[in-house]
Amino acid sequence: MNKDININQLRTNCFRQSKIPGEFMLQMRVPGGTVDAKYLSFVQSIAEKWGNGSFHIGTRQTFDITGIKYESIADVNNYIAKYMKEVEVYLCDVDMEINNHGYPTIGSRNIMGCIGNRHCIKANIDTTSLARRLEKEIFPSHYHIKLSIAGCPNDCAKAHFQDFGIIGVTRPIYLKERCIGCGRCVKVCTKAATRVLKLVDHKIQKDACCCVGCGECVTACPASAWVRPNKKFYRIMIGGRTGKQTPRMGKMFLNWVTEDVVFGVIKNWQKFSDYVMGGKPEYLHGGHLIDRAGYDAFKKVILDGVKLNPEALVAQRILWSETEYRSNFNLKPLSMHPVVPPRD
Amino acid sequence: MDNIFMPEPHKILQIKKLTAIECLFRVEFEKAGEINFGQFFQISLPQAGECPISISDFSKEEKWAEFLIRKVGTVTDKIFALKVGDILPMRGPYGHGFELSAYAQKDLIIAAGGSGVAPVRSLINHIEKNKSCVKNLNLIFGFRDNDSILFEEDIKRWQTSFDVTVTLDKGSGKEGKKIGLVTDYAAELPLVQKPVPDLQVIIVGPPVMMKFTAQKFLALGAKEENIWVSFERKMSCAVGKCGHCRIDETYVCLEGPVFNYVKAKQLID
Amino acid sequence: MGYKLDWNDFRIFLKNLSSDFQVYAPKRFPQQGRYSDTDCIRYAKIASADEIEYAQKSTYPAKEVLQPINETVMYFVEGKYIEAKEADERPYFIFARACDINAIARFDDIYLKNGHFADPLYQKRRQKVHFALMQCPEKGWDSCFCVSMGTNSADEYGIGIAFCEDGVKIDVKDTAFEKYLAPLKASPADFSVKPVSENIVKVEVPEISSKEIQQKIKSLDMWHEYDKRCLECGSCTLACSTCTCFTTVDITYTPETNAGERRRIAASCHIDGFSDMAGGHSFRPTAGERMRYKVMHKVHDHKVRFGHNMCVGCGRCDDHCPAYISFSTAVNKLAKEVKRLEGERENG
Repeated sequence: MNKDININQLRTNCFRQSKIPGEFMLQMRVPGGTVDAKYLSFVQSIAEKWGNGSFHIGTRQTFDITGIKYESIADVNNYIAKYMKEVEVYLCDVDMEINNHGYPTIGSRNIMGCIGNRHCIKANIDTTSLARRLEKEIFPSHYHIKLSIAGCPNDCAKAHFQDFGIIGVTRPIYLKERCIGCGRCVKVCTKAATRVLKLVDHKIQKDACCCVGCGECVTACPASAWVRPNKKFYRIMIGGRTGKQTPRMGKMFLNWVTEDVVFGVIKNWQKFSDYVMGGKPEYLHGGHLIDRAGYDAFKKVILDGVKLNPEALVAQRILWSETEYRSNFNLKPLSMHPVVPPRD
Repeated sequence: MDNIFMPEPHKILQIKKLTAIECLFRVEFEKAGEINFGQFFQISLPQAGECPISISDFSKEEKWAEFLIRKVGTVTDKIFALKVGDILPMRGPYGHGFELSAYAQKDLIIAAGGSGVAPVRSLINHIEKNKSCVKNLNLIFGFRDNDSILFEEDIKRWQTSFDVTVTLDKGSGKEGKKIGLVTDYAAELPLVQKPVPDLQVIIVGPPVMMKFTAQKFLALGAKEENIWVSFERKMSCAVGKCGHCRIDETYVCLEGPVFNYVKAKQLID
Repeated sequence: MGYKLDWNDFRIFLKNLSSDFQVYAPKRFPQQGRYSDTDCIRYAKIASADEIEYAQKSTYPAKEVLQPINETVMYFVEGKYIEAKEADERPYFIFARACDINAIARFDDIYLKNGHFADPLYQKRRQKVHFALMQCPEKGWDSCFCVSMGTNSADEYGIGIAFCEDGVKIDVKDTAFEKYLAPLKASPADFSVKPVSENIVKVEVPEISSKEIQQKIKSLDMWHEYDKRCLECGSCTLACSTCTCFTTVDITYTPETNAGERRRIAASCHIDGFSDMAGGHSFRPTAGERMRYKVMHKVHDHKVRFGHNMCVGCGRCDDHCPAYISFSTAVNKLAKEVKRLEGERENG
């Protein structure tokens, strides 16, 4: 067989090289990890017709279909145009041309999401809806970003290990006149969250600065004395990553921001990537770009033009804590340090 | 409209320390004539709260009432900070107490454990002064140890009129005190040394003590309908509103705290 | 006399009424439900007819109007007592369903009759309560069992009302309310509130014939199921139309002042501390015992004292329980157990 295959181009089209000669794995985006169940039969058709009959649930919630022969890729791209059109264009309103050439940019960095409040009793937000609305802000683009959306600070969606992790939080309102002083919220906060509540004189006192915004107090209250406000709030974690060199957990960048702020920040990601890479996209975790630019520069570009809501808190500094598999990993000749050249 | 929850001020006339944690408070009470033996008051201290306290004695003539108060909670902590001449706000009297007519001209045994002596003290004092109102009276009191004996002066005085047994859970049996439980010595009481068809028995104390003491007297031949007990429950309003003291269809604050054993044995929480 | 009003006229009717009454109705509080993006429906003072949530059953019952969750009994200043006064002294006009109105009759049992003491706080409000009886959907809602409890209709109401697509139908029972309709173009209509005649849930209330059976019920195995299932959170009792219990507590405003208040706070027999005495002793430590205590009160104990069952079958306890414990299912289980116990007794 002809082994002259441009694997870079195929990777861009979401086909990953297999160790089996001439075989590839297709990764289909599933924004927020939720689509109509009818697409499972679509996946099944691809796997059985062109793949090896097997299907993997991607670690970033993509539909991964293995064992696709290089020769079948054109047919597969032709077949998935319908899926791309329905999911990306119709469902997520993504501005992209649907043709028979497959995904236009690497799609494996899918927006992940937990099931969110369409189902979950803990969730503060509708993660699926947010993922679908964010999709068009980051896809298709050659500047990649790893996003995940968690419905609550339990973070089942692993927002702590993303370039940008979005966590739905709430700022519960205390309706004192409804409180029976049973202390159930105190118990729940102590057991499940950050022990910010205490019972004083049959009413609750709250150490608001340490509240993680999970809303456990709301769920626990038998009298609806804790209620969620009419407004949704979000926390944004940045710079989390896995990898062979310096994996690390993300750090809190913004807290108690509104959806407008989330969108403003995500929209600026393209600008920030461009600032760091100067129009030459590299396949790098966002955290590396923040490292290269430095947090202050990142903060400046990413918040440019973003109107923060009054409750919003922004990290002044970030103290990264990384796993260095090799001691003195960061010690190297100055010439080896990646830097952002001066930009206008 | 009269507010039944509005406490009335009562001047403290006397405070007597009985044990390390228990004091006897005597307060002025104009309407002492309305009190019945075994009833209780709600002590109602502003900024501390309310708690039920049984009336341990009263004088219709001198217009006072006495309360044994043990320092066990926020309200009682505050009461202990009061001095003679201060005001003790209270409302009451409440509840259904001991009906003297039930014991009239009959043999009566009063068994009390610990602070259970308080609710029966006024009744004993009354009988002491009106000996003809019952046929015979035997008293048996149980305390934890020498230091927790309550109303020692009264007990000494009662001994001159009645047969009195004092038991201690532990310690040395000085001055005729016996070591053991009330149930251990019940059978030695003079009034159970003969057939007891009409014997009346009053039992007041912690729930476990009342349960086993009642069983003991039943075994000794007392009839269920002749046994009387006094219940202790959380009473927050004392007038059948708050619901805390309810057992089945019975409100302890209204129908109790004194119950006949026929009823009491069914009051299982 | 029956009338039909379009929505705009109904708005005016309520506005006219509001000049003389404080009007309470079930009101939707968006986003204030237990879970995110869910609502809470509870009683609140309303300023406009548009605030009435009539299409759904409220999460919390009408009792909150007459017995607020927190209520100041009196204030203390420098050791003196001052009786709490109502901020709004106008009479009450309360939109309520048949179950709610029957529930208030249960409140009367406790607050006006029990022990021959009338509760002054409750009495003051109760004397000036007028109800608008709201018509329910044909079978009520999926958790209702008012028909089984005989509380599907109510007598105490000033007006009866049914909400229709284009307005309301009103039955003016108390002619004193005619004057609020007089200025409007209300067209006469043949209308009276139609009671729910059948619910989806049917409850068999146990017939307990003796003290002996009543005692045996206390040791039934069925209660143990709740030891593990019940969270002891008290949601059922807060949602209950007829739970009347409260705890009295004293509050000092700040440590530096000699001022504070005595307050009543709704209490729950499912929550720790309900029976705690000074010194620490308490009764009914397990969830199963607490469930038994509540269930028996609702379908037996209250009736022994007052002649009718406490439970009015509103089903709010079932709706509000976070652990899906169904009170109506428990009562039906109990009825079956009681039949078994009665059978055992007859057969010796």
